[in-house]
Amino acid sequence: MVTYDHGMDAVFKALADSTRRSLLDELFERDGQTLSELEQRLSMTRFGVMKHLKVLEEAGLVTTKRRGREKLHFLNPVPIRLVHDRWVSKYAEPWAAALSGLKKTIEEDN
Amino acid sequence: MEKVFEIYIKTTPERLWQAITDGEMRAKYNFGMGATSDWKPGSRYEASAPGAGLLVEGENLEVDPPRRLVQSMVALWSDDVKNEGTSRVAWEIEPVGSSCRLTVTHDQLREDANDELYGGWPMILSGLKTLLETGELLDTPGSLRYSDQAA
Repeated sequence: MVTYDHGMDAVFKALADSTRRSLLDELFERDGQTLSELEQRLSMTRFGVMKHLKVLEEAGLVTTKRRGREKLHFLNPVPIRLVHDRWVSKYAEPWAAALSGLKKTIEEDN
Repeated sequence: MEKVFEIYIKTTPERLWQAITDGEMRAKYNFGMGATSDWKPGSRYEASAPGAGLLVEGENLEVDPPRRLVQSMVALWSDDVKNEGTSRVAWEIEPVGSSCRLTVTHDQLREDANDELYGGWPMILSGLKTLLETGELLDTPGSLRYSDQAA
């Protein structure tokens, strides 16, 4: 049995919020930002950014590194990949493959 | 540019180290690419796959089993990635309870580097977790693209 130490529930919960998704998008665009940088870019209060970052860190979606006096935040896409491998590939991809096959057949018939 | 990838795997540091440095085990989760080296500081390593030839090469910069492995990396699978030059990959293993936290830090990447260089890490780490925790291979499309099975 594959274990999910951070817990899949925490990942789904963290992703179920548009502000937290925009924080992830922000880190996807520019990885390794400090709290102050994120606060400015998202025009949010420091407290708000901290609160959301905490949820993302607990879900393993954001990881941090100390660089001198600064704490840098990095997007960790691995839990999303685990969700994909556990759920999306199981339910969605056989359908996607079947549908693209169907599309090809229909287009060839025309 | 620097990218950080982190995963928890229920295993021991020794087994995790073996899965990273054993060519045959590595091929099972690393797009079918096995890595060969004598794993000594300053020596070379190569990753290749049958039919696809040499795909990655580099130098072992730090080797501290079963905790830390730092390597330079030159990707060779296309002209585009060859033009990216040399980057650096650090594998760090930290025991946490009955599991290990594995952190892969891929840095010394050019700003706006081709995402093929680092985009495969989530799939590789997911496959490594599946292999160590279940003994099975991850069969998500693309995960074994260079292996014989996929050919």
